[in-house]
Amino acid sequence: MSAHRRITDPVEAMAQRVAERVVDLVLNVVDLNALIQRIDLNALMAQVDVNALLARVDVSALLEQVDVNAVIARVDTDALLDKVDINAVLTKIDMDVLVEQTDLGAVIARSSGGVASEALDAARSGAVGLDQTIDRWVQRALRRKEPAPVAPRAPLNGEAAPAAPPPNAPPARPSEAPTEAATPPEPSEAPASEATTAPEPSEAPASEATT
Amino acid sequence: MSPRPATESVTAQGNYAGSVSRFLAYAIDLFASTAVYTLALAAISYVVQIVTGEQVSWNRQNILVVVLYLAWEFFYFGYSWAVSGRTFGMAMLGVRVVRADGAAAEPRRGVVRALVFPLSFLLFGLGFLGILVQRERRALHDLIAGTAVVYSWDARAARLRFLAREGELTRIPPDG
Repeated sequence: MSAHRRITDPVEAMAQRVAERVVDLVLNVVDLNALIQRIDLNALMAQVDVNALLARVDVSALLEQVDVNAVIARVDTDALLDKVDINAVLTKIDMDVLVEQTDLGAVIARSSGGVASEALDAARSGAVGLDQTIDRWVQRALRRKEPAPVAPRAPLNGEAAPAAPPPNAPPARPSEAPTEAATPPEPSEAPASEATTAPEPSEAPASEATT
Repeated sequence: MSPRPATESVTAQGNYAGSVSRFLAYAIDLFASTAVYTLALAAISYVVQIVTGEQVSWNRQNILVVVLYLAWEFFYFGYSWAVSGRTFGMAMLGVRVVRADGAAAEPRRGVVRALVFPLSFLLFGLGFLGILVQRERRALHDLIAGTAVVYSWDARAARLRFLAREGELTRIPPDG
């Protein structure tokens, strides 16, 4: 050990003990709570660059220390699910996108993708498109502004037909049909195709639409 | 060309059926019922020829053929409307006869509708004008029978089938 170290080491040790003692004395004297209350934390936090601070945090290393399974095991999933309004969640699901972009669509396509059903769907859709085109023409020609009345909802294939109301019950008017059925078509969603092309008058003369 | 998506049709359910759907349904019914009638006459001719050895020929000038044809047409339409509210053609096009207030049409309404159906023809076809201009698209025979024709096919399911087929065609297989 050099002569210089023999002098400085004891001095440093003494300085350390003095500093600790001074700090103890100061802390005993100072009311830290009162001191903290005088600090403007908002102003202090405003000076802190949180992003820079977070950038220095190794999140991966942090997460590696977390036992996620243990955390999940402590969660009461039943209580959690009880608080979730599943119906509200389901209403937010875009079924069209779901069917189009997931394997659910493939399942539907394979289970119901017969040529006959495809042709039937196309024929019905095309007929409805022409119906609406002709109807728009007629409404325009007759200068009607108000929308057409809503039809009563007919039972779908396989559904039981609605029972006739009792004789003393007020008659159900078309306006009482389900609101969903009254939703007007959304032309913006329907790509133009031949089926929406305006038909020639000879295609569907009024006197021949007979059923 | 891909078939037209059923987007509009989804919302068309709950609307009164339009002229094209109804005309196509009638055309299918007319073709089907006439084909069945013709086959029936041919079968009768065949049986008569086998039993008696005489050849029977049917033609449009034969009043019996005309009367039987009209009776058959009345039975075809009347029975279909009375029993299920729709004929074969209407089932194909997804339309159905209901009571004007939306309830299922009673059998007697189906029969009345079939009885007064020719009236719409007899008035120079003007009876059908209601399908175009009447607010509820009811023809003369609908007004008399107290019926209406509405869309009844599951357009929502049809749209999902369409989207599924489109997705199936456009989706790239995982290994490809």
